[in-house]
Amino acid sequence: MKPSVEQLENLLALKSHERPEEGYWQDFLCEFHQRQREQAAEKSGLVSFYNRVSAWFADLSPSKWAYGAGLAYATVTVAFFLMPKGVDVENAPASPVNYQVVPTAPPVEQLDELDLSPSTQGSVGEQVF
Amino acid sequence: MFRQSRPPDPDQDLVTRAREGDTRAFDALILKYGDKLYGLVYHMTSHKEDTHDLLQEIFARAYQSLKSFRGSSSFYTWIYQIAVNLTLNFLKKRKRRSGLSLNELDSAIHQDPALIDSTHEANPERQTNLNELQVKLNEAMQKLSEPHRMVVTMFDIQGMSHGEIAKVLKTSEGTIRSRLHYAHLQLQSALQDAWNERF
Repeated sequence: MKPSVEQLENLLALKSHERPEEGYWQDFLCEFHQRQREQAAEKSGLVSFYNRVSAWFADLSPSKWAYGAGLAYATVTVAFFLMPKGVDVENAPASPVNYQVVPTAPPVEQLDELDLSPSTQGSVGEQVF
Repeated sequence: MFRQSRPPDPDQDLVTRAREGDTRAFDALILKYGDKLYGLVYHMTSHKEDTHDLLQEIFARAYQSLKSFRGSSSFYTWIYQIAVNLTLNFLKKRKRRSGLSLNELDSAIHQDPALIDSTHEANPERQTNLNELQVKLNEAMQKLSEPHRMVVTMFDIQGMSHGEIAKVLKTSEGTIRSRLHYAHLQLQSALQDAWNERF
C-alpha cells in the first residue's frame, strides 16, 4: 500500500521545522561582514591604483602624447618580435607509392559489338576521305 | 480595465535603508529570510557546508545588486529567485564535477531533527517508524530531478502557493501542478515498501 498524497504531504511538512543550530546566524553575519570588507578592500585597491595612474597621466605636460605614442610603438615592436613566426613543416621523405595500375579491359559486350568484317577494314595504304 | 494594485512590500523601508548603506538594515533582512532560504538550499543540496557557502553567495549577490532592485516584485520574491538560480547553477556544476552519490551527502539529513515530533514523544515505537520513513523520504527526494525537488521543497516543505512558486520559477501554475503531481507519484512509489512495513 502506498501512502496517500495527504499522508505524504504531512510527512514532508514535518521537515519545515528544520532550523540551523543555535547561534548559526550570528556567526553567519560575522563572516558575511568580513567577506564584504575584504571585497571592498580589494576593490578600493584596484580603484586607487587606477586613480593614481590616471592622475599621473593627467599631470603630465603635452609631452604625455609623445610618451603615449612611444609606449604604443614599443608595445607593437615587442609584440612583433614575440609573435610566433609560424610552424616549419618538414617535407616528408619521398617514398615510392606501392600502387599497381592495371589497365581495364573493355567489357566483352563492347567487343562483340565491334564490326570486324573485311568490308570495314580497308586495304593497306588506302585512305578514305 | 482596472489594474489590480500590488500590496506594498513590507520590506520597503529596510530595503531603502540597506540601499543607502545601512548594514544593520540588511542584517535584519538576512535574519528575516535566512531560515527560509536555508531550508530551500539545504533540501536541494543535502550538504551543510555547501548550504552555508551558497547562502553567503546569495546574500552577497543580493547586497551588491540591491541598487538594481526596482521593486517590481517583493524583496522576498526577488531574493528567492536569486537563491533558486544560484542553487540550480551550483547543482549543475556539482553534478558535472563529481556526480556526488547519495552516500556522500550530509549524514545529518538521515537524522532529521524535524521528525522529533513532540506529539509522538510518548510513543517511541511510532517515533522510530517515522524516523525510518523519513530516511526513505530523504533518499527518494534526492532521486527526484532538480526541478521536481525544487517544487516539492517550495510547496510541501516551505508552504508556498502554486502562484508564488510559478512567479519565482518564472513558469505557469499548470507546469508547477504537473511537476508536483509527478513528484508526488515518485515519492509515493519510493515509500511504498517502508509504508507497508510500518503501518
